[in-house]
Formats: sequence, structure tokens, C-alpha cells
Amino acid sequence: MGGPVLQAERRSVRELEGLAYELRAKLLRLCGTYEGAVHIGGDLSAADLLTALFQRAMRVDPGDLANPARDRFVLSKGHAAVCMYIAMAIRGFFDYDDIVATYGQLDSAYGMHPCKVQLPGVEASTGSLGHGLPIAVGMALGARGRGEDHRVFTLMGDGETGEGSVWEAAMAARSNELGNLVAVIDRNRQLMTSFAEERVSFEPYPDKWRAFGWNVVQVDGHDMAALADAFDALPPASSDRPTVVIAETVKGKGVDFMERNLAWHAGSLGAEDLKRAIVALEHAYAKEID
Amino acid sequence: MPTTFTFGEMLSARSVIGSTLAELGAEHENLWVITPDIGATLVEFREAFPGRFVDVGLAEQASVGIAAGLAYDGNIPVVSGMLPFLSMRALEQVRTDVCYPNLPVKIIGTHGGLVGNGGSTHYAVEDLALMCALTNMTVTSIGDPLMVGEVIRQSMEMDGPIYIRLAVGKKDMVVYEPGAHTIEIGRGLVPRDGDALTIFTHGTTVAQALEAAERLAAEGIEARVVDMFTLKPIDEALIVESARATGGRFVVLEDHLAYGGLATRIADVVADRGIRLAAFERLGIPQVYAGFGEDEQLRDKHGYGLQATIDAARRAAGASEETR
Repeated sequence: MGGPVLQAERRSVRELEGLAYELRAKLLRLCGTYEGAVHIGGDLSAADLLTALFQRAMRVDPGDLANPARDRFVLSKGHAAVCMYIAMAIRGFFDYDDIVATYGQLDSAYGMHPCKVQLPGVEASTGSLGHGLPIAVGMALGARGRGEDHRVFTLMGDGETGEGSVWEAAMAARSNELGNLVAVIDRNRQLMTSFAEERVSFEPYPDKWRAFGWNVVQVDGHDMAALADAFDALPPASSDRPTVVIAETVKGKGVDFMERNLAWHAGSLGAEDLKRAIVALEHAYAKEID
Repeated sequence: MPTTFTFGEMLSARSVIGSTLAELGAEHENLWVITPDIGATLVEFREAFPGRFVDVGLAEQASVGIAAGLAYDGNIPVVSGMLPFLSMRALEQVRTDVCYPNLPVKIIGTHGGLVGNGGSTHYAVEDLALMCALTNMTVTSIGDPLMVGEVIRQSMEMDGPIYIRLAVGKKDMVVYEPGAHTIEIGRGLVPRDGDALTIFTHGTTVAQALEAAERLAAEGIEARVVDMFTLKPIDEALIVESARATGGRFVVLEDHLAYGGLATRIADVVADRGIRLAAFERLGIPQVYAGFGEDEQLRDKHGYGLQATIDAARRAAGASEETR
């Protein structure tokens, strides 16, 4: 195990909820500042997951990026990059103001999809869907090869699990008994232009993972207490079955006019929309902590 | 004219890959070998280092993605398989997972060109065009089985990715006596010098180019043969020097589509540098799906066999300053 410095703080659920609210508010503010489109729908669906991962589940230290004992994180749904940057900023990796000031600009390290070369704090360059799980499998194999006990996490959208490479990697992970691998599925049930089940039959979704030999955990992806429990109860990294955490989420979560709305896969916010969105978010958060 | 080649023994390049990787596995504790079900020749490595050998089954995309993950983790991964599939089915993984972050992944594969009589599903004939297009990728094509071992060995010191192309790899002619040439990735070899024209080639057609050059010598035409085994980065200095030494008379012979491979690489250098050529003959696969047949039959059928090479060389050698 890594030293105490690597232990992610075990924040209380209420505190985690507050951090997720902060993440959403910062996302909206960036979306209101940046002129181009932001993948706001899938960012908001992943906000609780990324908060739980960076603030609780993962053993990471923003002050020691190269520590070999750190848990690794691969953002397979690379279009949620900005949500990850801000989640990491709140954890202390980056400066939020720097992200807002430079996002998408020429020579910025922060853009639509994460680039390891431009931003060393991220573990892998991703963006093309279905690539994260194979990369995470490789990282988990490497850890196993050296007898290290850190975990490798990857966050996927459910839509991207339509890619064949995901199932190739799912099979490889089980075949190689990678209990140190944790795939988290942001199951918002929306593709870019349709609601998933309208076009592609994913069900019985958890059974598909079970059939590939994975340890399947199903959880409400917006219930911070449930997420904390799920991540706290992960099997040991030395176990022989990879775990998939299937988190039921809502695309656009937290902003009522964006929730389950195909128009908000990606977009930008004008001053009026930003104001509306912040009010909606405040309202949702007040209800949540009530 | 000096020659430094032999038409020597036949050897399996695959066995050289297997033994080389097993040796390197002992030297590099972070060397991993990943294969999509093409592991027969990797037995030595698998037996010596079972913990660093991964057969993912029929899953080329995952084989490359997993290699990228291992490389991110500080390892040196080798992906070994059949190039028609590694270069195309996994192309996006090669480009995005490996080349984009410039990871030290080695892709070593067989069935480059019209070899193996598998039909067009099993010929890698576009692979060099695809790989040369990828930023950060080093691209090689090796004919001599012993040279494969040296190239793999040198590749261990490289920071970025490399593509190493072979023919079937079961029965390959040893062209170079060990020590006769300094093998250096990025530098072409000149196994036969001459002043009438240059035949540029790579991989499995090196032996054919040398055979053609010997036949031409009998009629007084001295051909320089350049084994341009590194297509990217290409040895520009050798191209420039060959233009000067052989009067700008070039033949390019390759077991790949005639457009997109070595001929295109050389044409780019020639155009960019404003070199005026007297002759430029491309010998390779035309825009056809080649069908079945043995290697030699297919080369003859598609216009880049031994006789076609000799004919093209004669035309090039006869080209004068006035005809250019």
C-alpha cells in the first residue's frame, strides 16, 4: 500500500455531495464562458461518479503524479474531459481558473478530449470511444506483473460499450484474472442522437457483463451514499475477477431543462441559459440536501 | 562493382523473432509480448516469461490497446501477429492509443505483401501507406531474416512506436552476411553498387532486385540496389546520393501497392528537393485485389516479377538526359 499521503480522504457523503454540486456549478460556468460546445449532458451524468472516484475511491495524490502506488484512471468516455479536469481541479490536480481561462484555446492543455502529452496529470490520451478498457487492461496487467496492489479504474459511457473493442477487453480482463481492474459505467441510457434502447438493445445489460465473468455491482449513480458504499466495498485488488460498477445515471442531471433532453448532448450556454441553469442546479441541490 | 550480399541459406524469420524476443526478455524485465492468437513462434518467450506473455485470442484491437496500457505503465510491449489485421482492423488503436501519446510499442508481423496464398483478405498490401501516414510511427520492412533480430534489438532503445513488416516468415533467404553491413534504423543499405540506375526496394523483393541486378550486369548494365528497409524516416541522403551516382535513373520495386509505399516516399523526397530524374519506374501491386497464387506467380501476373524488374531497369538505364 502507498503511504498515508496517497490515501484519498474519506470524505463524508454530505461533503461529497457538496463537492459534486461545486463540480456541476463550475461546469456550467465554464460552459457559459466558452463559446464552443461542451458535452454538458454526459458531463452532468458523470459528475457524481467523478467526484466519488477522485475524492473517495481512488488512491491518488495531486502532489505526486508519478508515484507508482497511485491508482490509475482512464477516462474512456473522453468527451467528458472537461468534467474530469474540473473534478481533478477540485481534488487539487489543476487550477480551475486556469481551465476556464484557457479551455479549448490555442496551446491550452485543456480541450475537448484528454491528451496525456499536453496534460501530464491525466493517465491516457482518449476520446475515440471503446478504447479506454483495453488500455486499462494493459495498465492492470502491468501492475499485476510487478506484484503491485493499486487499482486501475476506467469510466465508460454505456453507449460506447457498443464498440467491439470493449468486449474484446472484457474477455481479456477476465481471462487474465484482473481483479485490480474496475470499470465504471455511466449508464445514462442516451446516445448522441437517440435514447439508447430506441436504437440498440443493451438489455439485459448487467447480465452481459456477468456472462463475461465480471463481478457486477449495480448502483444509483447519483446517490452519493450508495456510490461511496459501492467503492468502499470493492473486492481486493488481488482478487481474480474484474469489477464493473454499473451506475444508473441521468444525462444532464441536476439541470432540469437538460435532463434526458437530446438537445443537451453538447451545447453552449448564453448568459440567460447560464442563469437559468444555475438556478435549476441550486434548486436541485437544495432539494437533495433537504 | 562491389557487392555485399549472398544468396545464402534459407531461414525462418519467425524463429529469429522468437529467439530474439526470448533473449531480450531476459535483458529487459519490462518487455511484454502480446499476440492475437498468432503465438506459435513465440513459444520460447512464453515458456521463459509466462507472466509477460498475453494471448488475447482473436482480438486485434484489444491487443494494441492493451499494449498501449502496458506502455503507459512503463513497459516495452511487442504486439506480434498478422499484419493485414494489425494494420487495418486495429489501425485506429495504433494511431490513437499508440502513436498519439508516442508510446514504445513494437508491432511485428507477418504476411506483408502478396505472400502466403491466402487471398486478398490475408495480404497486407496497403499497410505501409497506412503506417507511414501516422505521426510518430517508424516504419520498417525487412527481407533478411537475420536482420529482423538486429532491428528488434535496436528498437528496444526507441521512445516511440515501430512497425516491423515481414513476409510469411517461414522460409526467408539470408541476404547479408552477419557483419557485412551496419544495420541502423533510418539508414538504407547498399548491397550492390552500380552507376547505371538505382533499384530501391525493401522486404521480400530485395533478393529479387539483386537477382535482377546480376542478370543486368551480364549485359553490361550495373545497377545499384538499395535496401530501403526503413520507409519512415526515409534515408533522404541516400536518395539524393543515389540520384547523383546513377544519373537520376530510379526503379522502385516493392511488394505493396505501387502508390502509397516506398515509391511514394521516394517521390515525395524527389519532389520536395527539386531533384530532376531521368527515369522513375514504379513496380508494385496495381489497384487490384490480387487473387490466389504463389508469390512469384502473383508478382509476374501483376507486373513486378523478376522479368518485369529487369525490363524496367533496362528502360531506366537507357533513359538519357534528353528523354527526361
